Amino acid sequence: MTRLKSVLGYTAAALTVAATMLTPFLLMNFFTRGVAATGLRIHPVYTGGDVVREIARAGYRVRVHRAVYPATPLQRIEPFVQLDWTPAAALPAQVSEEVDLDGDGRADLRARFSVPRDPNAELRVDVEPLGPRVKPLRGVGKESFHALIVRVGEAVVVRVPLGTGAR
Amino acid sequence: MADVAPAAVAAPAGRGIGRSLLLTLPVALWALLMFSRALGVPGVAVKVAALLTLAFLVTLFFLMVRTRQTNRWRRLFFATLGFLFPIGFVWELIALRGSMSIPMEKMIAGDTPFCFMVIPMILLPAALTRTVIFPGAILPTASNPHSIAVMIGLWMAATLVLGKGWCAYGCFFGGIEEGIAAMPRKARIRKIDGRWRLVPWAVLAAIVLLSLATLAPTYCEWLCPFKTITEYAEVRSIETAIQAGIFLSLFLGLVIVLPWLTKKRTQCAFFCPFGAFQSLFNKIHIFDIRIRRDQCKDCVSCQNSCPTMALNKQSVAEGKTLINCMHCGACVDICHKDAAVWHIKGTPVGAAPERARLLHLYAAWGFATMFGGSIIAGTLTKMLGFLG
Repeated sequence: MTRLKSVLGYTAAALTVAATMLTPFLLMNFFTRGVAATGLRIHPVYTGGDVVREIARAGYRVRVHRAVYPATPLQRIEPFVQLDWTPAAALPAQVSEEVDLDGDGRADLRARFSVPRDPNAELRVDVEPLGPRVKPLRGVGKESFHALIVRVGEAVVVRVPLGTGAR
Repeated sequence: MADVAPAAVAAPAGRGIGRSLLLTLPVALWALLMFSRALGVPGVAVKVAALLTLAFLVTLFFLMVRTRQTNRWRRLFFATLGFLFPIGFVWELIALRGSMSIPMEKMIAGDTPFCFMVIPMILLPAALTRTVIFPGAILPTASNPHSIAVMIGLWMAATLVLGKGWCAYGCFFGGIEEGIAAMPRKARIRKIDGRWRLVPWAVLAAIVLLSLATLAPTYCEWLCPFKTITEYAEVRSIETAIQAGIFLSLFLGLVIVLPWLTKKRTQCAFFCPFGAFQSLFNKIHIFDIRIRRDQCKDCVSCQNSCPTMALNKQSVAEGKTLINCMHCGACVDICHKDAAVWHIKGTPVGAAPERARLLHLYAAWGFATMFGGSIIAGTLTKMLGFLG
């Protein structure tokens, strides 16, 4: 029994050395693919959630994401909906438009913001609710994940906190 | 912990040069293979950096083999890694976005490099919500090669090969403390209550539960000392200013001042939740360190030498280390009675400790060459390129 345990011990030690040699060529790739295959996604607080509809405008479009709600009582975000105006290069210098979030034919909010040509310039957004679905925003920049306006790649992203009539 | 001065480092009989060279040959070939791509890249800086790193790593391994000492040479590598990593990382951040702070738009774009420290926090939320509570990318992108899948893949491989040894051969953060702790000749604070080593477990439990409750990486947002030298959320509010203040205070206290005063890796030993998490894998790791009771004179040199306090009176009496042993080899190097020995689980204790040490080193140094070596070479390339 002692000899068998020794043989198994040395075998495992040799396999550990072999695993090191296989790490850059096989093992790391294997584990990486395994993680990717789990179908995990980044939490919607960061990504804004799935795009549920697109509204075509003259030369650009507005993407409406699925509303994001806190999943636990201690999650420190308010419910919000993300809207992407894309491509930012095609936007007029001043955007002021109504957006229908759920496609029921009635606008839910009016968003107003400037689009400076300097991509590093800070953005500010005003959102006027046109119903109970969203909360108003006044000159908001990027203070929190649920109320913000930022440039992300080719899009101007606006997150609007949802009101009590959102669900 | 007993306040007894460590005994002089034992000087075991060195190995012959020829035999040492022969035993170093596999590591030299491995290092050559690892750096062969860099050596083929056009540009002098990248080639010189690769050659310097290769020579450094192979020389250190040769010295480990020749002197039969592990920790003093490992520590040199590890401190180098610890000091070069933040330089290279911050250099890259400044080049990419001109600042160490990560703005909200980069988080939304998934451009935050994934850090292994987040792993314990994302597991439960991932299991329950099938989402990762980190503003990174699952797969590598042009703007974020340090994706979640790649970094978790690397961690899994590292855990398989090193177990808790990650903290002694892989974790660049630990290298900073190791370097600071090595600087003073004597520890100013020598009596440390052993109960402090329970704190990382408490921090681990707290951050795992809080991350699940808030669906946010709590440790990264509030407690990580290494935000000070890597990246942190843009300071735009009182809350983010408080967070930045906590990062800086913890870094100065746990990574600079206390390691200097105690000659211990205080952040690792008394705070790091990832270290505690990684300790769990010691149970399945094949290498460990044992104390031969028939040789031990209870001089407590091993306990005093351990940078993470992974030995106490009771564990020594039982002939083993505590679960948080990171296999640095400090206790084995300092034991002048050869009571502390490297060991392969399943084999008789003390039967062939040098064989166990070498097998452990081939695995650990192979990983260190691949992972740490690439970080060292990358930073050296940037520095040499900057110098022209």
